[in-house]
Formats: sequence, C-alpha cells, structure tokens
Amino acid sequence: MNDIALFYPEIFLAIMGFVVLAVGIPIRKYTVTSAITFATLIVAIIIMAVTPHSSAYGITVNRFSEYFAIVLLISALFISLPVSKYLGKRSEIFYSALIFSSLGMIIVAETWNLIIAFVAFESVSIMTYVMSAYGGKQRNLEATVKYFFTGTIATTFIILGVAFYYFSVGTFTLSTLNTMQTATKPTMLLALLFLLIGFGFKLAIFPMHQWAIDAYDGTENDVSAFLSTGTKIMAFVIVLKIFLVGFSAYTAPVYYFFVILSVLTMTYANVAALSQNNVKRLLAYSSVAQAGYLILVLAVVSYIGIGNKPGIVDLAIASGMFYSLVYIFMKGGSFLAMNMVKQDNVTFDAISGLGKRSPYVAASFSILLLSLAGIPLTGGFLAKYFLFLSVIEGGLWWLAVIAILNSAISVFYYMKVMRYLFWEEPKGEFSTDDGNKAAVIISAAIVVFLGVFYVIFPTLINISSQIVG
Amino acid sequence: MLAFDILIISIIFGIAAFFTGRYAKETASILSGVLLILIAAFSIMRFSSYSRGFVSQYSITISNSIGLYFSVGVSGLTDALLILTGIVMLIAILITDREYGSTFFGLEMLVEVGLIGLLISRDFLFFYIFWELVLVPVYFMIGRYGRDNKDSISLKFFVYTHIGSVFILLSIFTLYSYSITYLGYYTFEIGPLMGIVHSLPAFELGFVLFGFFFGFLVKMPSFPIHSWLPDSYYSAPYPATVILAGAISMMGGYGLFGILMEAYSAIPLWVLYFLAALGIISIIYFALTAMFQRNIKKMMAFASASAMGFVTLSFAASLIESAGSYYSVKLIEASGGMFQIVAHGLIMALVFSALYYISRNTKTDSVYGLGGIYREAPMLSSFALIGFLASLGLPGFAGFIGEFSIVVGVFQAISWYIFFVIFGMIITASYHIWTAQRSLYGPYNESLGFIRDVRAGEFLILIFLVLVIFLFGIYPNLIFHNLVNYANSIFGVIS
Repeated sequence: MNDIALFYPEIFLAIMGFVVLAVGIPIRKYTVTSAITFATLIVAIIIMAVTPHSSAYGITVNRFSEYFAIVLLISALFISLPVSKYLGKRSEIFYSALIFSSLGMIIVAETWNLIIAFVAFESVSIMTYVMSAYGGKQRNLEATVKYFFTGTIATTFIILGVAFYYFSVGTFTLSTLNTMQTATKPTMLLALLFLLIGFGFKLAIFPMHQWAIDAYDGTENDVSAFLSTGTKIMAFVIVLKIFLVGFSAYTAPVYYFFVILSVLTMTYANVAALSQNNVKRLLAYSSVAQAGYLILVLAVVSYIGIGNKPGIVDLAIASGMFYSLVYIFMKGGSFLAMNMVKQDNVTFDAISGLGKRSPYVAASFSILLLSLAGIPLTGGFLAKYFLFLSVIEGGLWWLAVIAILNSAISVFYYMKVMRYLFWEEPKGEFSTDDGNKAAVIISAAIVVFLGVFYVIFPTLINISSQIVG
Repeated sequence: MLAFDILIISIIFGIAAFFTGRYAKETASILSGVLLILIAAFSIMRFSSYSRGFVSQYSITISNSIGLYFSVGVSGLTDALLILTGIVMLIAILITDREYGSTFFGLEMLVEVGLIGLLISRDFLFFYIFWELVLVPVYFMIGRYGRDNKDSISLKFFVYTHIGSVFILLSIFTLYSYSITYLGYYTFEIGPLMGIVHSLPAFELGFVLFGFFFGFLVKMPSFPIHSWLPDSYYSAPYPATVILAGAISMMGGYGLFGILMEAYSAIPLWVLYFLAALGIISIIYFALTAMFQRNIKKMMAFASASAMGFVTLSFAASLIESAGSYYSVKLIEASGGMFQIVAHGLIMALVFSALYYISRNTKTDSVYGLGGIYREAPMLSSFALIGFLASLGLPGFAGFIGEFSIVVGVFQAISWYIFFVIFGMIITASYHIWTAQRSLYGPYNESLGFIRDVRAGEFLILIFLVLVIFLFGIYPNLIFHNLVNYANSIFGVIS
C-alpha cells in the first residue's frame, strides 16, 4: 500500500476538482472558486515536491518527472492569478476544468507509458477546449472551433502512432531496452511519423502551427498564456520521452525529422512575425519560434544518441528543461501583459504609450520581450546560451549558426513592440487594476532572477539523466 | 579584488541614477566623477610601478562542474581603457541636457557599468553579458531621444551590432566545447581558452576566428560592415554620439588587442594581410567619404571610423611582424595601436562636445549653415579648432603619438603600401582644415544672429579634455609604458 503515496498529488487534484465544482453551486461568488483553485495549485506543488521517488502502475516519480510536473503546475497558476479582468466573471466549471487539466499534465510528466500518456494528454486537450471557448464571444468560439478540429485530427494521428508503436515493439512502455531488440521493424518508422505529426500539432511546429496563431489570438489572454505555455511544455515533455527514449534505436530518422522541422519552424515563424500588426498574433508567432528552439534539444540528443557522451546529452536535456522553466514565465507574463489593454483585439495602436501610463508594467513587459529575444541578464539569455552551447558541443555548428541568426532576426519584432510601448503617444484605454500589473511585474522579476542566479542550471544537469525513467 | 569592487560600486551607482528625479544631472555627474577618481586611484596604486600580466585578479566560483566562474583581472591595456571609459562617460553625462530626465542619466550610467564589466572580465560568459548590456541603453538613447528617422536607425544599430555579437558567442561556444579536449576541464576563462586556439582543427579555427573578427570589426567599425555607423552617429543625441565614438568603438579595439592578441600565433598570415588591407581601406575610404559630407556631425563620424582604421592596421601589422622575420618593432606597433584607441576616444569626446555646444547655440551643425562663428564665439570655436587639429593628428596632441608609432611600425610590415596610409592622412588633414576654415572662420553668416559663447562650466569641461589630450600628447609615457608592458607580456619579448 506504500505505492499510494505516489498518487497523492493526483488524488488531491482530482478531489479538489470536484470540490470546486460542488462549491460553485451554492456559492455564486466566483472569486471564492478562483481563490480555492489558486490555493489548490500551490498545495499541489508542495505535495509534488515531497512525493517519494518510486515507480508503480505505470507512474514513475523521479527528479526529472517531478521537475516537469512542478513546472507545468506553475504554468497553470498563471491562469488562476487574481487578475481582475476575468475575476468573478467565470463560473466554477472553468476553474474545475483548469484543475483537471493540471491533473492530466502531471500524469503526462510522470508516465513513461504511451497509453497512459495518451489518455492524460487527451484529457488535458478536452479541458482546454472548454477553457478556450469560455469567453463566449464570437472570436473565442471561432478560435476554439479551429483549435478543436485540428486537435481532434492530431489525436487521430497520435492514436495511430501509438498503435503502430505497440505493433512493432510489443509494449506501451517507453524504455531504451525495448527498442533495441526490435530495431529493424519498418512499422517503427510509421509509428514515428504518426506520433511526430500528432504531437507536432500540439507543439505547434512549422507545418502544423496555423491553429496556434488563431487560437492564441482568439482566446482570452490568460487562456492563451496557458495554451502557449502549459500545453506546449507538456507536449515537449512527452515528445522528449517518446523520441529520445522510445525511439532510442531509431536516432537517424528522429534526427533528420527534428533538424528539418526545427530549422523550418524557427525561420518561418520569425519571418512571419516581422509583418504582424497585432501584438497577440506576434506573440503567437514568437511562441512558434520558441518551439523551434526547444526541439533543437531533440535534434542534438538524437544526433549524439542517448547512451553516448553523457556529458553533452545531459547538458542538452538540461538546457531544454531550463528553457521550459524560463519560457513559462516569459511567455505567460507577456500574454498576461495584454490584460492591460481593455479591447480584445490588441493591435499596436492599442498598446502604444503604455510606458507613459504605467511605466513599471511597460518596463516589465519589455524585460519579458528582451528575455524572449535572448538579451543578457534575463533568463531567456541563459536558456538560449546553454541551448546553443549544447548544440555546438554536439557538433552541429551549422545548426547553431541558423538558430542564432534567427534569434538575431527576432530582435526586430520584439524591439518593434517596445518602440510602441515607450515612444508613441497613448491612443487606447488601459486598465489601472493592480492585479493586472502585479502579474506582469512578478513574471519579469522571476525572469531576471533566473537570468542572474546561475545556480539552478548545474542542478538540472544532474537531474537530466533521469529522462530514461 | 579592487577592480571587482569598482564594478560593484558602478552597478550600485547605475541603479541609483535611475531614481534621482530632479537632481539627476548633478547626481550622475558626481557618481561618474567618483568612479573616475576610483579608477585613477586604482591605476596609480597598481600601475605606477612596472607590472606585467594581470593584476587585481579575483574569481568567484559559480559552478565547478560546467566551469562557470566570474573571474576578474586588469592588464595595462585594460587599465588605460578604464581611464578612457571613465573620462568619456563623465563628459557624456556633463554635456547631457537636463531636460532628458533621470532615465537618460540612468541609461548612461548603465553603459558605464557594461563597459567596466566587459573590460575587467576575464571570463567569456560575463564578458559577453556585459558586451551585450552596453547595446540596450544605447538603443534606448538613440530611439527615444534621437532625431530624424530615429526608430529605424536605432533598430538598425541594435540588430547590426547584435548580429556581430552573436558571432562572438558562437566562437565562445566552440572554444568552450574544445576546452575539455585540450585542457581536460570545461572553462569559460579567456586566458586558457585563447591558449588553445592554435591547436584547434582547421575548420573550427576558421569558425572561431571569423566569429571574433566579425564581431569586433562591426564595433570598430571597419570598412565593409560599417553601414550602421553614419546613421547612428548622426541620429543619436550628442551625449550618445560621444559614447558611440569614444566608448563603443573602443570595444572593437579592446576585442582585438585585449582578447584576440592572446592567440596571435594561431592567426594565419593571409588573414592578417587581409585585415591590414581592411584597415588601409577604412582609413582612405572613410576619409574620402567624410570629405563629401556637408554635416559636421556626420563628417566627424566618418573621421572617427577612419581613425579606427589605424587600430585595425596596427593590430594586423604587429602580428605580421611577430610571424615574419621582420625587425622586431611589433611592440611599438601594438602599443601605438592601443594608444590610438585611447587617443581617438578622448579626441572624439572633445570634438563632439564642442560640436554639441556649437549646434546648441546656433541650432545647426551643417558646414554651410555655420560660417565665421569665431567673431561671435571665439572661445567655442577655438575649442572646436583644437578638436579638429587633434583629430587630424597634429604633433603635440595625443592622436599624433598613436598615428606616428603606427606608421613607423607598419612600414616594416607592408613597405611601400604605406603610401596609401599617408594618402589617407593627407585627405584627413585637408577636410578637417577645410571644415574649420569654412565653419569657424571666414565671413560671418549673418543669418545666425547673436551666438552665445561657452559658459564657465562648459569651459571647464572642454579645457579638461584639451588638457588631458595635451598631457597624453607631450608625455605619453603615462600610459604608454603600461601598454608596452602588456604587449611584452603577450609576445614574451624582453625589450
């Protein structure tokens, strides 16, 4: 019965999900449900941190899965922050959906079993469909329909991929041992292709990214923050496990697919972002580009092979882990900064002159943008620094050159936003609420903290070897 | 340890300067003055007697396993450039318009933090962080307070120089990834990493050298990669122009002499000849371009780039001499180049400050808009004239020492091609004299009306610069012997 301790976070979240639903019926004050959700997620993070490390029933808690579970719970926290734009306007169903989706996310982080991962993944997707449609406006619904249909198609691909994987390996468990024995089956290639397409949709990498632009733009700001951080990092975790551990005997096709996709994603997204005149769409393209940087980790590690050169592989995976953490704050904070604008369609004119109205928020937002661009003293710089370092250490010079030039191009559009923030006269109306401001300022403070204190990264290098489960 | 303390103090000052409100100018002036005094005291304590290699070394361990340290060290070159930084930043702050508000002064102090940091870092990670840190405040200065088309110009400045920086970053990564092979441990420290450059495989060697040269030459700026220069210098407000000309271009020179020179034996000869050619082309091309400018600020921007051509040339020539069988004048050569960086920064600070007062008092800075202002403002035009004369390399001023030692040394390396350098110097002299004659003397342009001359405080700023330039011109040994010692410690020659 000791195994039950492994499931405390999941059990706690499941109970609280129902509690929030139940509380919402008699108490019609939605601020209460929001507060309960916030507290629940905080407590879940604490429980997660003290959960014993062991493995049972397809769930493995080790330092790797624990790290990602906490990172994903933090991304869910963003949506339950007491931001006045939405506070009190959402019923308990929304918050319960959030809790259930964080339940799914931590299961994804903790499992090395494909079918469990698939079910948890799908539960998160369904909950996010509910959340993104919740605004009820025309543009929310339109975005949700696009998100829903592409999401369903992706699910189909994933389940086909899982089936082919089972067909060729004979188990759903992802482990470096299984694939070694059956390395020559051609159906593995089909499984690889289907899984890549399916998770590529969720990760929003190049040919499968178009839904993300519309969905992030069309949904409400905190939901876009969640979609672009939480679900993306979740997809990243599962992609890391599947393609690095599950396909560890198939490194060559994994390498080619991810190198090509990464280059295309970065380049396309950065070029497309240059011509945007809507800030949320610009941020959406930038998050597609960030996914392009993230999957560089897969390219490098599969180029080397997970068993070879442990130092470099650990460095690469650790840089991906650090990037995920920083990415959550910089991207989530940026989308929450859109709350300062009262209108839904955030054009450049809408944000212009924010620096004159609330200078601290504008300064924090620009710190987040500088972090996305990878300028020193921000977490984004260190994340990119270690990522590109591992790419070069892995021997892929040309890839690092492409990535770093892309990073330089991206400065153009981030600076463009900053120009509007500071040097244009205010045109639209801005929110004056402290809750809206605090979210952005805190994110910026954390991003700077991550960029100035270097101690976190060396710890991650020790953790990263536990990716094999 | 002392140098590290200066950095910490400058960081505190830099943050404090943002919150000074109405008294921003006074506070920032005092703070940067204190920094200059600290730097001067440090130099006297550490460099008044003979010293070789790095002093004031200090290191903080961040992570042993991946080789993260924050190490600090000061060489003779670094010390000279620290003094330059202190003076240029003080001048830039003193000539800043009070109207700009505390943000502008805070940004200026932040530039000073970045410059001090990158000069004293002996660790590539922190070197790069400070290197990039300098760009951000300058971007805001140009973009917020500049003139004409400032939006696109500030963006061009940032992206252009940022692309230069990321190539440096790629080189750093490559060196880091080879440190385990050649040193047996991972490290970012500049000294050991530059020591392994010569043993790199051919492709990686080319990759590393290209990255460094590209990044440093963009900052200089050198001939084919200079197109950010005229726009940025012209559009920036005058204090930012002083910073650009005095301090940002210094970064390129420091990169060559402070970083790359430690790997001098690894650089192939043809690269050096190519670099020397770039230097000569820079001198002539920028001088010719400057001749056709009708705006004095733009003209001086090109003059500054032309003077930095001497630095590139001297770097290349001193390394050619150390590789070939030439008579060993490489010490003079290299020290002259380093001296030229300092002299150029000081002279440009004088030229642009004088130009700032002229354009503020007359509302114009074009050659034809001015004319004969000596009649109305004799003191101011005399200072401008001194600036022009120093800039063209007249004996007695600091610029002459640098250019003279460079030309003497370069002749050994490239023989009769020296003709081109002399040709460039003649053009330089001609357009400086022409500008002085046309704008400062000659018939007075009556449409300007009454022009106010410099006030007492402004006089002190300008006379301080003139005295420093003059001091370095007649007694260069104040810093020259340190530069020679530094070059000596690199080349390992006892002279």
